[in-house]
Amino acid sequence: MNGIIFENVCKSYGETAVVKDLNMTIQEGERLILLGPSGCGKTTTLRMVAGLENITAGTLKMGGQVVNTVEPGARNIAMVFQNYALYPHMTIWENITFGLFIQKIPIEEIKARTKQALEILNLSGYEQRKPNELSGGQKQRVALCRSLVKQAPYFLLDEPLSNLDAQLRLQARTELVKIHNLYRPTFIYVTHDQVEAMTVGQRIAIMNQGALQQLDTPDVIYQRPANTFVASFIGSPPMNLLQGAFRDGALWIAGSRVNPPTKWHTLLAEHQELWIGIRPEQCCLSDTPMLHGQIEFVEHLGSQRCIHLRLHQDGQRLLCMLPADQPIPTGTVGVSFSWQHVNGFDGHVGKNIGLPNKISHNYAC
Amino acid sequence: MKINSYRDWYWHILLLLAVVIQLWPLLFMLSTSFKTMDQIFLSTLNPLPAKPVIDNYLYVLKNLPLVQYIVNTLLIASSITLAKIITSILAGFAFVYYEFSHKEKLFNTLLLTFFIPITVVMMPNYLLISKLGLLNTPWGVILPQLADGMGIFLMRQSMRNIPKPLLEAGRLENASPWVILTRIILPLIKPSVIAMGIVFFINSWNDYFWPLLILHDKPTYTLPLALQMFISAEGGSEWGIAMAVAMLTALPPLLLYLTCQRFIMNTFMQSGVKG
Amino acid sequence: MNRFTWQSALFLAPATITLLLFAYWPLLQDVWLSFHSWNMVSPTMKFVGLQNYLQLLSSDELIKILLNTVLYILVLVCVNFIFPYLLSFIIAHRLNRFSFFYRSALFIPSTVSLAVASILFLWILNPLAGPLNIILSAIGLESPRWFKESGLVIIVIGLIIGWKVFGYNLILLVAAMVDVPKELIEAARLENVSNWQLFRRIIVPMTSSTALYVFVITVVFGLQYVLVPVNMLTQGGPDQGSSNLVYIVYQYGFVFFQTGKASAFAILTMLIYALFLIVKTKVLDKKVHYEN
Repeated sequence: MNGIIFENVCKSYGETAVVKDLNMTIQEGERLILLGPSGCGKTTTLRMVAGLENITAGTLKMGGQVVNTVEPGARNIAMVFQNYALYPHMTIWENITFGLFIQKIPIEEIKARTKQALEILNLSGYEQRKPNELSGGQKQRVALCRSLVKQAPYFLLDEPLSNLDAQLRLQARTELVKIHNLYRPTFIYVTHDQVEAMTVGQRIAIMNQGALQQLDTPDVIYQRPANTFVASFIGSPPMNLLQGAFRDGALWIAGSRVNPPTKWHTLLAEHQELWIGIRPEQCCLSDTPMLHGQIEFVEHLGSQRCIHLRLHQDGQRLLCMLPADQPIPTGTVGVSFSWQHVNGFDGHVGKNIGLPNKISHNYAC
Repeated sequence: MKINSYRDWYWHILLLLAVVIQLWPLLFMLSTSFKTMDQIFLSTLNPLPAKPVIDNYLYVLKNLPLVQYIVNTLLIASSITLAKIITSILAGFAFVYYEFSHKEKLFNTLLLTFFIPITVVMMPNYLLISKLGLLNTPWGVILPQLADGMGIFLMRQSMRNIPKPLLEAGRLENASPWVILTRIILPLIKPSVIAMGIVFFINSWNDYFWPLLILHDKPTYTLPLALQMFISAEGGSEWGIAMAVAMLTALPPLLLYLTCQRFIMNTFMQSGVKG
Repeated sequence: MNRFTWQSALFLAPATITLLLFAYWPLLQDVWLSFHSWNMVSPTMKFVGLQNYLQLLSSDELIKILLNTVLYILVLVCVNFIFPYLLSFIIAHRLNRFSFFYRSALFIPSTVSLAVASILFLWILNPLAGPLNIILSAIGLESPRWFKESGLVIIVIGLIIGWKVFGYNLILLVAAMVDVPKELIEAARLENVSNWQLFRRIIVPMTSSTALYVFVITVVFGLQYVLVPVNMLTQGGPDQGSSNLVYIVYQYGFVFFQTGKASAFAILTMLIYALFLIVKTKVLDKKVHYEN
């Protein structure tokens, strides 16, 4: 039972609330990503788990016990810091074994664990170097190694890849998953990079302005965002959010009448104002269009082209992806989409209104 | 963008002038201490005595308990330095590592002692030392000088420059505060500690005032205090001897500085003693 | 949290206790002494109320002492603040060679004891056989009796202190100068800005926090340094010509054994310091650019 449970956890510095009423359960042994824009409270949440920040209100349980006042050192946590926090005056070997010696682990055991970890991370032979003699990627691996040898049930990572260049990052992502699979600790990973979140995470918790927005698998988060924030935060280019209204048995977007399938009617009718969310890759140019718009410009993204449209009548913007081998259209075009990919959001609170067949489904946690 | 090397010559002249003003008196002290009485008065300005003599030094060695003075000064200066380093490190650590109420207020209160002038403390401390029966002892000179907020400020400053995650990583390893201080912090701020120690040592070695107040018996004198014996009413004539003692007093701090100057300069330049 | 509190108290205790015992307690004691008449040895003390302060404020010597103090501070501000400020700019930004040499050489006198400096300058300034006198008479000037003339003596003492402290302040200022980003100076040079404009418009604002600190220590510490040369060379003479706010306390306390008056002067000094610090925090700090 090494799960982590947040119950109404709040954190504030004086008047500023950084984390607001957080309720979340992290399963034992899963890889959970805390994702959000900078200043959303994700690092603070991680640091509360580590015990490096006091909890203002609520309870935090780890392994079934309330740990609000438990010292960081007593929580049995391994943590990788953003800038790695390697002790510059110690050799790599000393860095890695520092904590093990404090734990009074027998020397043979320390040697064995360290040797194994160094081999896994491809660092054998670097034991006697100092951190400033290593490259960024090597330092990052030493930081991982230091956490790995602890064999702690909780493994916390605070933006561990943000200081690496793009190529190394790709490699490190797979390495991280591999390490997790070695002994499956409960893994909490903070990042602001959605690609990292999607590739590393088994579940993703998206935070904004101190509040949890959605906690689910990468697939669900991508396809069924819980609210307009998640919809616009995840995906690049982001989801189109079109302002619409349901009147007279039809949806009106930019002056055009769009006829939803009948099973949608009751659901849509509950909300007068709506945001209709459609991923750009789910839009296509069509001879039987639902919406009309003027092409403003076309972005080349390699395998695809991103068409920027301005809809007729109210001038809302719409992005539409086209395969690169299709001819580039010009002027006025018609766009259509399939209703199975559509998300509806309430026009006032921005919450996902759900799907017609499971009306009461709530995507927030 | 380098400045043209030939265009800054006038700055060099200005600076060389400053160097001459700063160093000439010391050079003069050095040369006078190696001159005989005749040479002092006949070739006063000559920086290189024709025949350097060590008579002045021999005279002071023979007629003054010089070794005793050196031991006294060394004992007092090292005790003060060591004690101040330790108390400053401990207090600086508390201010960096712990969160407690009124932390800033307490820090400012301790730092404000910086601005309590020696005139305010000299009488009460003299009375206290005499009540404790420590007049004419090294302890009497050491104790009042331990009160110095500067060290706390410097240590807090250099400990603050250590990235917080290094300390947090230590806490996650369940390292005790003592282990964090001795194994993580101290190795990282060693240069600042040494530089501060050198400055403390030089200042306490050079101190004249507390020895003057506390030490009245000649055998307990420190070197700077001993210098006053060579000042007689209207320009006494024993200049060679006086300069020899002055040289001996000035030499240890000077050598300490000259051997560590690159180190001291670098520490000053990096962390600095900036306000 | 509780464990934290007593642990931190343990770390703080040695420094806090010494500071309370040897700095704050004496301050209180001085206030108490200043309301009494005592001679340091007599077993009884007489409460005299404000009498010590009234005597102090109505005495003729107060004006002289304050004037000497102001004159002395002015000398120090020139020698230990303005000169090093200008020179530090030159050393940090106008030279491309030898700057380490200048820094190191100019710093050397600050390692010398004030006692050494005093006796050294007593010899250098000796009006009969001293080297400066020989130089002056060589160019046809008569050497004044440096330590015997009112008005001159306090300036000479200021210059002796200035000689010693100069290098230390210079280094602090050079350190601040070096921190001014080179790009700013190069950008200014592209605009063809004169040295003076560069100093005035970029260097001064960028270094103002250190400059203010150096200014404060020049005044606050400089005033206290005066004890050593005055005690060794003039004992406040001639005719109180070198006496000042700091030396007078020593004089009353340890020469005349009038602890009441001595403490009254000490408290007066403390009040002036406090006023100076209030002006510093309320006015000067606002005008200063702090990095963090």
